Amino acid sequence: MGNSIRKQVADLFQFALILCAAVVILVPIYWIASGAFKQQVDVFQLKLLFTPTLANFNEIFRSPYNLHEKLLNSTLVAGTTVIVAIPMATMAAYSFSRFRLRFERTMFLMILSTQFVPAVVIVLPYFLLFRDLGLLDTRLALVLVNLSLILPFAIWMIKGFIDGIPLDTEEAALVDGSSRLQVIWNIVLPMALPGILTAAIFCFILAWNEFLFAVIITNSKAVTMPVGLSLFHAEEGVLWHLISAAGILIMLPMFGLAMIIQKHFVQGMTLGAVR
Amino acid sequence: MASVTLKGITKRWNEFVAVRDLSLLIEDQEFLVLLGPSGCGKTTTMRMIAGLEEPTLGEVFIGDRKVNDDLPKDRDVAMVFQNYGLYPHLSVYENIRYPLKVRKVPKSLHSEKVRQAAEKVQLDHLLERKPRELSGGQRQRVALARAIVRTPTVFLMDEPLSNLDAKLRVTMRAELKHLQHELKITTVYVTHDQIEAMTLADRVAVMDHGIISQLGPPEEIYNDPANLFVAGFIGSPPMNLMKGKLHDNNFQHPNFSISINHEANLEEATLGIRPEDLILCAAQKGVLQGTVYAHELTGESTLTTINVGPDRLTIRGPKEFKINIDEAVGVQFEASKCFLFSNQTGERI
Amino acid sequence: MRDRHLKYLFVLPALVLVLVTSFWPLLQSFWLSFREWKLSRARESRPLWEPEFDGWETWPYLLENYQRALEDDLLWNSVQVTTTFMFASVIVSVGLALGLALLLAPGGKFRLTVRTLLILPFAMSPALIGISWRFMFQPDFGLFQAVFGAVVPGLADVDWLGDPTFALIAIIGSDVWHWTPYLTLVFIGGLANVPRDAQEAAMIDGASSWRVFVDVTLPALIPVLAVGIILKSIFSLKMFDQVYMLTNGGPGNATQTLAHYIYFHGFKYYDMGYASAVSYLLVIPMLGLTWLYMKLVFLKR
Repeated sequence: MGNSIRKQVADLFQFALILCAAVVILVPIYWIASGAFKQQVDVFQLKLLFTPTLANFNEIFRSPYNLHEKLLNSTLVAGTTVIVAIPMATMAAYSFSRFRLRFERTMFLMILSTQFVPAVVIVLPYFLLFRDLGLLDTRLALVLVNLSLILPFAIWMIKGFIDGIPLDTEEAALVDGSSRLQVIWNIVLPMALPGILTAAIFCFILAWNEFLFAVIITNSKAVTMPVGLSLFHAEEGVLWHLISAAGILIMLPMFGLAMIIQKHFVQGMTLGAVR
Repeated sequence: MASVTLKGITKRWNEFVAVRDLSLLIEDQEFLVLLGPSGCGKTTTMRMIAGLEEPTLGEVFIGDRKVNDDLPKDRDVAMVFQNYGLYPHLSVYENIRYPLKVRKVPKSLHSEKVRQAAEKVQLDHLLERKPRELSGGQRQRVALARAIVRTPTVFLMDEPLSNLDAKLRVTMRAELKHLQHELKITTVYVTHDQIEAMTLADRVAVMDHGIISQLGPPEEIYNDPANLFVAGFIGSPPMNLMKGKLHDNNFQHPNFSISINHEANLEEATLGIRPEDLILCAAQKGVLQGTVYAHELTGESTLTTINVGPDRLTIRGPKEFKINIDEAVGVQFEASKCFLFSNQTGERI
Repeated sequence: MRDRHLKYLFVLPALVLVLVTSFWPLLQSFWLSFREWKLSRARESRPLWEPEFDGWETWPYLLENYQRALEDDLLWNSVQVTTTFMFASVIVSVGLALGLALLLAPGGKFRLTVRTLLILPFAMSPALIGISWRFMFQPDFGLFQAVFGAVVPGLADVDWLGDPTFALIAIIGSDVWHWTPYLTLVFIGGLANVPRDAQEAAMIDGASSWRVFVDVTLPALIPVLAVGIILKSIFSLKMFDQVYMLTNGGPGNATQTLAHYIYFHGFKYYDMGYASAVSYLLVIPMLGLTWLYMKLVFLKR
């Protein structure tokens, strides 16, 4: 009897703690989101009730902010990076997963270790290179540097998924009369497709949120959404309501994408370490 | 239809030798079973026939054609895998059709051939399903149908029944046997299960540490084991093996001796006798004496385990037989049913 | 085409791209770290030491950038900020995440819903987190200001971003908010792999649930914890986005991390040679951590 009451109290306590955690996660997100619908005067008051407006979304797309240009830049840069990186990564991942290669370990470690190089270290030479080539403030330059960030990630993630495809199936196809390329096209790709899509979405999120490269390499034409956030200043100060509106456009699509791949989200981030 | 010839093939990974200088001729239409414990090299041998592994040394022939440099797809073999290797994203129909598709068999023949193959393994009502919607036995049948849909030169089967439950395994065994008889295709079958080997094979190759320990028809492997390894591996429960000396036509065990017609004298020899060739009797009447350690009923017979000095013997008896643990018993047997092995070489003497 | 050619052909594009996009700049900045190049003044970099001109015995000139760095108090300040930040954020986020993982591990509808929420902070742009935290830490109308002030009266009048200590706490807080949910998911994954039968055996052997945790669960969780700690340390060491957006290193230099220091010297003072030298000082601890991480991950196979 005493035990069961103790258990109920413990359960209630756990429930309260979890609820607390959920509130801590959600409140800042809510605050950003709600700011987007507030008028500038309401932003400066801690009111829970306010008259919502869509005017902010109208304003951020107009001069001088022109957020649609940043939105286009972000989409194009992240999209191109992923479209270039994923096929390459898939090929390399297949080879690493299925074959014994000379220097396999060395190559693999080399590719992965680049993941941990601080971006601020490699951005210096890039800045100088792009300056010489006249590529500063271009989307092409951003795609190039983002590839260095995305590719190792994509290789590791996709390799994890291909490792999970039973070898039997591929060998059956080989014996059934397929060439290696046919096996990859007919068997491996369809089976690995969910994994490859997961990796693609994941890399898109990474590229979309990338900030350091973008803040250094771009200044007007190729500015991306995260960098665009710091543009909302006026003489009277920081325009929090517009930042919030832009913030929604940055975070909502990524929330959607993250939800699609939620099952594999963790696996992707730990580089397959926690399986 | 063709024979398969292996000439001195060796497979080595760095220091590890999986298959060592192995030669084997598999006759046209023969059902040959490669039998052995895990790690003995049986699967590697089969994979070299399929072309999934390249031999480090030696030659592989299918018919008269040397196939060492041929890709798996060019060898005209079909293979059934332990985990079936089905294509999970394709329907049963598409799974079975896949070999026809990649081999560019005219499209007009596909549906007829798939239907025939599916009928042979009683799958015709499941063609629209996906593999994950099938039971283990049904998946096994899909793998089989995919192998027989085109008529390959050689069938390769890698432990095809090991993932099935015991009951289904017996059914599928019979079906396999019937199918091979009907199709008359040379078959190489890998298993660690001696019952499968005994029931299916025309000839069994017992493998151990990358070499063939003995090659022959099942009854020969059972009745006439060539060495200690085969004697100890074949039979369930396995043959009783007792160490002793061989002197003046006499086998001397610490606890007993029996006269045996053999001119060799050996300080270290092993006497082997199968459980069904031992007969329990009253303690004083037997060739040897022991005490009962355990008594089990298997259904169609009983197994009695007794302690005899350092050894433990298993005796098969009639199913009505009953005895108590720790009872003293005697054991009778005929010298003619015994096998003698040299401890040094492991060979029969 | 035989596999033996194909397999290298498949690796080649990725390998070349990685070499070009990562190793080339690494080597380039190493080379630059031994040269002088104020971008605002010169079109070309210039060697710090020319033997035929300066004489051979003056070779230490070559290390001038490094020497300057080591003698700069502001660099040591940023090393201290980075270290403090790293330890605090790792300890707090890993600790909270482990607790939260234990709370959420059992499953059930409520817990699974909360687990889904855990994905959100990590999918958020760190730059956005930084700038919105700045918004919420504003005096007068900041949400955090109000909430903390209401809960702990002593905090009501704190100017969070104007005070060196509180500014650092604000950054640590934003980073913990960003990372804890993700680490929690990692640890939940780790908990799922703890052998259930070992826990049950311990329970039947008479262990209390605390003892089961200490004797069975925690030891089984150590590899995952280690991976989480090292991964978090690596990312903490690189900390830039939130610092830039939330405090921009201030007040003064109180929250200037190493990455921000490098950025400042490279792209505010355009002192490329010096920034490269400092960046190599950041690469060294990073190499150590990466090596540890690789070792851990590959040990498991």
